[in-house]
Amino acid sequence: MKRLLREPLLLATILTIFAALGLFVIYPVLRVLFYPGLRDFLALPGNERYVTATLHTCVIVILSTSSATAVGFLFAYTFTRTTVPWKGLFRGIAILPLFSPPFMIAFSYILMFGRNGLVTYTLLGTRYNIIGWHGLWLSQTIAFFPIAALVMEGVLQSIAPSLEYAARNLGASGWRLFRTVILPLARPGVAGAALLVAIYVLADFGNPVMIAGHYTVLPTEAWARISGWGDVTGAAVLSSVMLIPAFGLFLAQRYWVGRRQYTTITGKVVLLTPPPTPWYVRWPLFAFCTLVSLLILCVFLGLLAGAFSRGWGFDYTPTLKHWQDVLANGRALINSLVFAAVAATVSSLLAILASYLVSRKTFPGRALLDFVAILPAAIPGVVFGIGYSLAFNAPPLDLYGTAAIIILSLMFWNIPMGYQTGIGRLKQIAPSLGEAASNLGAGSLKTFWDVELPLLKSSLVSAFVVSFIRAVTTLSVIVFLVTNRNAVATFTILNLANDGYRGAAAALTTALLTLTCIVLALSRLLFGRNVELFRI
Amino acid sequence: MNDALVHIAIRHLTKRFGAVTAVRDVSLEITRGSFTTLLGPSGCGKTTILRTLAGFYEADQGDIFFGERRMNDVPSHHRHAAMVFQDYALFPHMTVFENVAYGLKIGGVRGEELRKRVERVLDDMGLAGLGDRMPGMISGGQQQRVALARALVMEPEILLLDEPLSNLDAKLRVTVRAELRQIQRRVGITTVYVTHDQEEALAISDRIAVMHQGEVVQYGTPWEIYYTPQSVFVADFVGTANFLRGRIREAEAQWFTLEFGGRVIRVESPGQGLRPGEEAVLNIRPEAIQIASMPPADPGSNVLEGVVRTHTFVGQWVRYWVDVTLQPEAVPYEFVVDVPDPRERGILEGRVFLGLDPRKIHHLQGA
Repeated sequence: MKRLLREPLLLATILTIFAALGLFVIYPVLRVLFYPGLRDFLALPGNERYVTATLHTCVIVILSTSSATAVGFLFAYTFTRTTVPWKGLFRGIAILPLFSPPFMIAFSYILMFGRNGLVTYTLLGTRYNIIGWHGLWLSQTIAFFPIAALVMEGVLQSIAPSLEYAARNLGASGWRLFRTVILPLARPGVAGAALLVAIYVLADFGNPVMIAGHYTVLPTEAWARISGWGDVTGAAVLSSVMLIPAFGLFLAQRYWVGRRQYTTITGKVVLLTPPPTPWYVRWPLFAFCTLVSLLILCVFLGLLAGAFSRGWGFDYTPTLKHWQDVLANGRALINSLVFAAVAATVSSLLAILASYLVSRKTFPGRALLDFVAILPAAIPGVVFGIGYSLAFNAPPLDLYGTAAIIILSLMFWNIPMGYQTGIGRLKQIAPSLGEAASNLGAGSLKTFWDVELPLLKSSLVSAFVVSFIRAVTTLSVIVFLVTNRNAVATFTILNLANDGYRGAAAALTTALLTLTCIVLALSRLLFGRNVELFRI
Repeated sequence: MNDALVHIAIRHLTKRFGAVTAVRDVSLEITRGSFTTLLGPSGCGKTTILRTLAGFYEADQGDIFFGERRMNDVPSHHRHAAMVFQDYALFPHMTVFENVAYGLKIGGVRGEELRKRVERVLDDMGLAGLGDRMPGMISGGQQQRVALARALVMEPEILLLDEPLSNLDAKLRVTVRAELRQIQRRVGITTVYVTHDQEEALAISDRIAVMHQGEVVQYGTPWEIYYTPQSVFVADFVGTANFLRGRIREAEAQWFTLEFGGRVIRVESPGQGLRPGEEAVLNIRPEAIQIASMPPADPGSNVLEGVVRTHTFVGQWVRYWVDVTLQPEAVPYEFVVDVPDPRERGILEGRVFLGLDPRKIHHLQGA
């Protein structure tokens, strides 16, 4: 502590970060929790709509988490331990959903499998309708299995192939080998992936708002409270209810499973080709991966077709008329990109600085800073958005309808992305480098600037990229904060889709995706190719 | 010790990490311009002391003085005690020149003077022409020199070295340590060196502080440490030791004897303070034992009869493990004996006689 007082600039930085996180992370959440009175919470079990939404949420979290984890595991297993043909291609397709707005999959499935769906109606002539819980289940499975796949890919990769050879050498093979060696070693990783997916499913707003229909879940019910009835209290009650499981899952994921993983990342990749997979495993996996990949490609196909078709379901003549709507909504598109870029830049810098302070400095409250910096990962976007709308709608900090409120919310919601990347990278950088700089006379912040930051450049860029994608594509955080003045594209797309302008919605989504890709390509050009994406 | 000569004073230093006490009440005075080594096995606290001197750790108790100045609250970047790290800690994103110039730049040295000073030290270290290279593009030995150059260019009064040679191969290590000693003598810089390699410590130091479990167990010249260790630990850790455990039989002014496994060992060193009947531990170094296939003619020597169990030949000497049967123990006692230049006598086998020179047996006072 005495040391800290001798470095006033460092002290000021730490205090500023604490103040910022306190004001923009803790305070909004507390506002949500304390906005309703005790009576409002007690009334909850008597409200049939609330109870239904809660039950629905439980059911869909269990369904989607199970299926996404299972699909993710099969993909991860295919990538890492088999000789299934085209597995590189499958991997490339599997990460596509990570780049897309969360509602896009649901929206596209309505186009493909809805009442007027291209597949269900036009091709098959049925009046099958995907809207409802089954549609939600499918969309969420496709949307979130890539997360599970990436986590488990890391876990399976870290099981040295030599173990598999050793087991074979001792006489185990096939199912026995899988059951006695691979599965037990992967189990903590599977549990971790499942919990992570559950967090995403629980918080998911985009898919249910598009495709769930009357099957309300907590985030959509909260949204309905505010948008339909102006019932802020009800929305806050539902948000608070959502926080309990979200927090539980988060704690379990981080402190229980996180410590039980058998794997240590050493950066040393053991290059030993897996033994050839028997045909009765290889071809079913191949068929399965093909099916899932087609379902993913379907999303993009549906979107593109929708963007260029005159009237979905009855008139597929190519047209550019929807692109006039895109131009009309140019303002929202630009807002999306600018807000996300600003938020992602500041967020990743702040997050990396925080990760440096936590990993390299000792100061009172360090464990607290570590906790608060990853806390937003536990808070569902809807809760974060409602929190901001409650916390910053009156003086002294009245940000209602401003660009600032959107930028700030996106910035602090994404802090954990950069923070975790930074912590991970700093573990790989020898602490002696910073000590050497200090030994040569550099103060803490100069050390950060001269030594740690240049070495963290790649982490900084990947933090920026991930934060940017999340900021551009989110709907849940901003849906409670936008007005006509600060509208962003995802919100406009939601409104267009809800109002039946599906072509315009598809065109605007396509435009948003394209522009996002351009920004990413530019950042790649600027900072080089050495960017790890989605290190979860 | 004259106060003016004491450059670094450590007074009752204690450092804990959670429940573990890494350094326990250590006091040490280091002379200006000397080369002092902290020697001990891993986990003995030697690196902790060095890092406390550098300011990376704060003392839990006790004080650190550089000259007259108490350093406890001085942050590491104001201590002017240049350190060379075990892994060198060269900034991987800067060239060799930029690495060496880094500290000077922070100190406000600019332009032509900066260039001159960096190039001079690179020249001195035999690194001329490597200034533009990145650290990853030079050899381990060169990286080691860059790390040293980066420390020396600051013209510090104190140089801290944390096992700087441990990443070099055996031959290079011997060359570099001789160079290091020369540079230290030339610059006259007070140097604190940390190593677990006893041979290196003996070869390079003015004084050695042997550490064990967070405490300094002996502080003295290499000669003192090797020939007059004060404890079983020091005798065993520095060099190879043959311990003779027994009871004092007679103690006179100039000599004493020890009952050892049913024999009497005579030691020609003052026996004051020793009481007959008390337990004692003696040490004799392997090279101080004579070995022969016939009993020696000289009756003044302590002679033991044994059997060669095995030997190893390493070139300049041969080492024997000789079993000597003692009473009342059933398990024979194993002596280690080194014979330098074994070429003429060849390798001995079977029954041998060991001669323990009474003048070369050391009594471990603190055992």
